[in-house]
Amino acid sequence: MDWVAVGLCEDVPAGTVVPRRVLGTDLAIWRSATGKFHAWGDRCPHRGMRLSHGFVRGEVLSCIYHGWQYGTDGACGYIPAHPNLTPPKTICAQTYPCNQHDDAIWVTLSGTDQPLPDVGGCRPVRSLDFAVPAADIAAWFGQSLAPVITVAAPHDLHIALQPSTDNACMVHAFAPADQDRKAVSRYLEQIRADIEEAA
Amino acid sequence: MILYDYVLSASCYKLRLMAALLGQPLTLRAVNFHPGREHKSPQMLALNPQGTLPILQDGDLVLTQSADMLRHLTRDHPDWRGADDPWLSFAADLNASLGLARLHDILCYPADIYAVRRAGVQQLRQLEAHLAEQRFDGLTFLTGSRPTIADIACFPNTALAPDGGVSLDVYPSIRLWMRAIRSLPGFIEMPGIHRLHELERPS
Repeated sequence: MDWVAVGLCEDVPAGTVVPRRVLGTDLAIWRSATGKFHAWGDRCPHRGMRLSHGFVRGEVLSCIYHGWQYGTDGACGYIPAHPNLTPPKTICAQTYPCNQHDDAIWVTLSGTDQPLPDVGGCRPVRSLDFAVPAADIAAWFGQSLAPVITVAAPHDLHIALQPSTDNACMVHAFAPADQDRKAVSRYLEQIRADIEEAA
Repeated sequence: MILYDYVLSASCYKLRLMAALLGQPLTLRAVNFHPGREHKSPQMLALNPQGTLPILQDGDLVLTQSADMLRHLTRDHPDWRGADDPWLSFAADLNASLGLARLHDILCYPADIYAVRRAGVQQLRQLEAHLAEQRFDGLTFLTGSRPTIADIACFPNTALAPDGGVSLDVYPSIRLWMRAIRSLPGFIEMPGIHRLHELERPS
């Protein structure tokens, strides 16, 4: 499958983790202290707790439930209740390819040879959830579903579409630097109201 | 100053949190809200005929509205005040939607659950839009660069939305705002709102 935008880099500061859903798959997107992004299945191998409830210290994501620590390769490196145990290699979070490009975070669930999508040198505005399928938004603007669609009038936007489920998605909007971000944000709110109304 | 308090109440937590952030000592009187319904007992009704919590008693003064209590606690702290009034009213709306959804889900309160959740989502979208616009101007909090009683009034029911079946996963600006509040010196937690574990434990 192709790359999917799962958020704006500025919304995930170093040392934080956020939940995102891509095509029904729950992900924990986290950013280490040195600023590197990771996308993992949102499930601790130990007891199934959402890793997005966890916390980041340095280059390690810890599960909130029992504090199991996972390094950047997804492998469990430390179990606080068994401080002398070297965790077996089989205890590993589900990892997915994840990259930062053009102020956006990109993920692919199955790997891809496609280059990372482009947002035309625009700057990030904001992300909004829409209670409609991603394809409906592309269709609204007369386009077919793609990682990024362009909406010329009135703000010359690049819109990255993140299909979350069969009937919900996230929109990550980018606009040229000369566009007023508040005006763009209010335009997006209006578009959302119109598209959801029509659904 | 005495706060008649119930540990699971979002509105009581507003006052516990505000007092903690100000370093204002507060005497907590635990009221058996559930299952005892002690807030409807004759003694409590004598103090507050509306039969609600929280109640703040400061000498002869008895306050029964959390917005008035936040104003009272910060009367000598102008830095905690701003253009609060619209947000205190918004906080009351959150309490009627997300707050009621939560009481329905955790304490079996009667509610038109789908309607209150829908209203809660609409309010969260408003909050997200406002906080996104604040961020365009480099501002972290509801009324500016510093937290005010507006933030403290709106924070609890927002942060506890998942208790009422309303997810916060899709609101990046709300999440960053909650993080900023949880990072404030003196922040205290309540069941359902934990401190930031990535911060080193205070010695």
